[in-house]
Amino acid sequence: MRHVYEDRFAEIEPLLNRVEKPSRYIDHEWGTLAKPDAAYRVCLIYPDVYEVGLPNQGIAILYNNLNKAEGISCERGYIPWVDMADEMRAAGVPLLSLEGAAPVAAFDVVGFHIPHELAATNYLEALDLADIPLMAQERANDDPLVVAGGPSVYNPEPLHAFFDAFLVGEGEDLIVEFCERHRELKVAGLTRTELLRELAKIPGVYVPSLYELVHDEASTRWGHTVPQAGEDVPEVIYKRVAADFGATDPVPQSVVPYAQLVHDRLSVEVLRGCARGCRFCQAGITYRPVRERSADQVVSAVVHGLEKTGYDEVSLTSLSTTDHSCVKEILSRLNRRLADTGISVSIPSQRLDSFGVEMALEVAGEKKGGLTFAPEAGSQRMRDIINKNVTEEDLDRAVRAAFQAGWRRCKLYFMMGLPGERDEDIVAIAHLADHVVEVAREVVSPEQRGGIGVSISVAVFIPKAWTPFQWCAQLDDAEVKRRQQLLLASVKSRAVRVHYHDAETSLIEAVLSRGGRDLAPVILGAWQRGQRFDAWTEQFELSRWLEAAAACDIDLRQAVQEPFPLDAHLPWEHVSPGVSRGFLEREYRRALEGKTTHDCTRDTCTGCGVCPTLDARNVLVGERL
Amino acid sequence: MEPTLFKLRVRYVKRGRLRYLGHLEVAHTIERVVRRAGLPYAVTQGFSPHMRVAFSSALPVGTCSESEWYDLVLTEYVPAHQALQRLVAATPADLAPVEAAYVDIRAKALTAYLTRAVYRIDLSLAAGLAIPASAIEGALERIRERGSIAYLRGKKTKQLDVARTLKSFRVASAPCGALQLVLDTRQDNDGSMRPEILLGALDAELAAQYLPDVAPRPLETGISSFACFASCSIVRVEQTPEADEA
Repeated sequence: MRHVYEDRFAEIEPLLNRVEKPSRYIDHEWGTLAKPDAAYRVCLIYPDVYEVGLPNQGIAILYNNLNKAEGISCERGYIPWVDMADEMRAAGVPLLSLEGAAPVAAFDVVGFHIPHELAATNYLEALDLADIPLMAQERANDDPLVVAGGPSVYNPEPLHAFFDAFLVGEGEDLIVEFCERHRELKVAGLTRTELLRELAKIPGVYVPSLYELVHDEASTRWGHTVPQAGEDVPEVIYKRVAADFGATDPVPQSVVPYAQLVHDRLSVEVLRGCARGCRFCQAGITYRPVRERSADQVVSAVVHGLEKTGYDEVSLTSLSTTDHSCVKEILSRLNRRLADTGISVSIPSQRLDSFGVEMALEVAGEKKGGLTFAPEAGSQRMRDIINKNVTEEDLDRAVRAAFQAGWRRCKLYFMMGLPGERDEDIVAIAHLADHVVEVAREVVSPEQRGGIGVSISVAVFIPKAWTPFQWCAQLDDAEVKRRQQLLLASVKSRAVRVHYHDAETSLIEAVLSRGGRDLAPVILGAWQRGQRFDAWTEQFELSRWLEAAAACDIDLRQAVQEPFPLDAHLPWEHVSPGVSRGFLEREYRRALEGKTTHDCTRDTCTGCGVCPTLDARNVLVGERL
Repeated sequence: MEPTLFKLRVRYVKRGRLRYLGHLEVAHTIERVVRRAGLPYAVTQGFSPHMRVAFSSALPVGTCSESEWYDLVLTEYVPAHQALQRLVAATPADLAPVEAAYVDIRAKALTAYLTRAVYRIDLSLAAGLAIPASAIEGALERIRERGSIAYLRGKKTKQLDVARTLKSFRVASAPCGALQLVLDTRQDNDGSMRPEILLGALDAELAAQYLPDVAPRPLETGISSFACFASCSIVRVEQTPEADEA
C-alpha cells in the first residue's frame, strides 16, 4: 500500500477555513453505514463535488448493499472542488474518503461512478490526488483495484487505460459478488494480472487489459476490441440485470447531508427502464427491460423513507414516472398520507399529453411554478424520425390543460442537429413555441396574460453508442451556430425565451461517446493541461482538449463529424446492454423513412432482443394508459 | 377556531466537525431532525407551507457553542422530557439537544430575546512569544477605546462597533503559554460582536508591539491565520436575555 488506512482528518481541518463550502468535506452525516472494523474496504467515488454526487441513487444502492455484506465496509468519496484540491496538493494531503477520512489509496477497491462523458478528466484528478497511478498497467499488486460502472459505461473504450475493470449494468448483485471474489483471491495471494483474469469470469465484468484493439476492413478509424489471444474471456460482456427489481430495497438512500444539494430530497425509484423507444436516447435502451414497483411498495417506501431521513420532499424517480401503470393511485394515496405535513411529492418530468398534466396537477398543490415538457423536435416529420410518439394534438391538449389548470410558465426541451434535420424543422421549433403562447393567451384571462412565459431550451444532439443513431455524425459547430441564429430569428412572440447549449462541451461529449481507445491519451493530455470539472462551464476550456488531441494527431471535429457505415464493427460492441444489432439497424432505417415504432409496454414485442439476451422481461403491475 | 399550539424551546450544542456548518445548513438539519423524531410539528399556512421553527442568532462558521437555541411550534403537547429524548435520538451527536422546556406561545422570538452572548476563547501563543495576560487586557482596552474595527466581508468594508457590543472581558493565563479570554457581548438588530474579528484586531495590536517585522493585513470574516497565536478555539458558552428581562 502506498498509504495506510488511518484517519487523517486533522490534516485537512486547517484547510477548511480557506475553502468554500467546508461542509463538503466533514462527513459525520446522519445515516452513514460504513463499518470501521471491517477488514475489506471499498471506496465509491462520484466524479464531481459532494453536492452533485451525494444524491446519486446508483451509489446509494451500492453503498447500502456493500455495507450489508458480511465483513465489507463501503465508504464514499467525491472530487474536492478546485480550491480544496489545490490546498490539498500544497499541504501534501492525499484524497481522503469521507467516513474514515482515510487515504483512498489504502482501500481494497476504489469504484468510480460514470455518470456521463464529461467526467473523464475528473477520474484522473481523483487518482492523482489519491496518489494512485493513473494508468491501470502502472499499478502495483498492493494498489487498490480501480473499477468503474454506471449509466455511461456502454462505451468504456476512451477510459480503458485508467480502470482495471468495468462493471457493466445493474450493480445491485454484481458489486457484492465482485468484491467477495476479490477478497478471496487476495487472500490466496494472486498477482494483479492473475486476479483480474479470475474476476473477468464474473458475468458483467470487463477487464480491458485482457482485450486488444484490432483494425480490419470492417472497423472504423478507432478499430474494435477483441479478447487477446490466449485469454479465456467473453467476446461480448453483457450488462447485468438485478434478479428481481421488485425485491430490491426501495429506499437504499440513507445518508442525509448537511449541505444544501442540487437534489435535496428523498428519491424512490418507482420503475426502471423505458420502452418508448426515442431513437436518440441511450437510457431508453440501456435500462431495459421495464420493471415497476407495486403501488403498495411505493407508498410504504415513501412513508418509511421520510421517517428514516426527515426530508420534506420526495421524488418518484425513473426515466418516465407518469408511465407507471399505477401512478394515479400512487399520487393520490401519497397526497392523502402527506396532507398538512408540509412535505411535497415531485415527479421528474411530465408526459406530453393531458394525462401528464393531470398528474402534474396531483403533485403541484397550490404552488405552480413552471411545467416542463420535452417535445424534442418542432415538426411532426422530425418527431417521427426520432420516434417521439407525440402528435400536434397531444401537445396542444397538454399545454391547453396546463394553462387552464393555472400554470403560467412552461418550459419546452428540444434538440438540434438531429439526423435528417432541415431548416424547416428548426423554424417549426419557433412556430411551436409561438403556438404555445397563443394557446396560453386563449385560455388565460386578460388580466393575467402578462404572466405568460414560454421558455425553450435547445440542446445539441449527441449521437450515443447503442442507440439507433449510433452511426450518425454530429453536426459541426459552425452549422449548429447558424441554426441557433435561424431559430432566434424565427421566434415571433416576445413571451418566448430561447436558451441553447454550448456547442463546445457538446463536441467533447460527442467525441467521447463514439470514440475508441485512442482517446485515452487525449483525456490524459487534457487533464495534464489543467482540465478538470468539464461539466462546469466556468472550468471548461476547449483549447486544452484541442491541443491534447493535436498532440495525438487526432482532429476532434473531424472525428465527431464522421458517420459510420451501417455494417461497420463499432468500437463499443463488446460491451452490450443486450439490445440486438438488427433491432438498432431496423430502427435506424425506419427513422430515415419517418416510420414510428410502438412501445412494447403498451403493445406487442418490438423485438429489441433485450429480454431473450439477458433472460429478463418487462414486469408491469397493471395496465398502462 | 385557532387550534391550541405549544412552543417548545430547545437548547443544543454545536461542536466537533459540525462547527463548520453554516447557519442555514444547521437550520435545515434541525428541520429534518424534527421530522425524524416524529414530533407533531406545526406548519405555516399558505402558498409554500413549511415547519414553524425559529432559531437564535447565527453562529459564525467554525465557532463551537454550548448554547444554541430553537423554538419549535407543536400541534400537540408532548411532555418536554419525552420530546427531548426523541430529538436526541434523531440528532447527530455534535448538534445534540441538551434541554427542552415549553414557553408561552406568544414568547418573544429568540433573536429578539437572547441579546447577550458570552464567548470563551482559548488561545495558544506562537512559539517564542511570551505575552502576559495584562498586556492582552491592555490591548483589548485600547481596541475598545478606539470604538470600532473596520473589516472586510467579501468586498465590502464593514464596521464592528466594539464599544457597544463588547460589554466586558476577562483574560486569564493558563499553563504552557495558553490564554483564556472571556467576552461578555451584546447581539441585537443594531449589530453583534464577531469574536473572530475582535481576535484579528487583537492579533494586529499585539503584533505591532511584539512582532514589529510582521506586516499588518486587512481583517476579514471567517477564521484566518494569526501572527501571535498558534491556535485558537472559540466557543459561545451562553446566550441570555438582558438582566432586566430574565
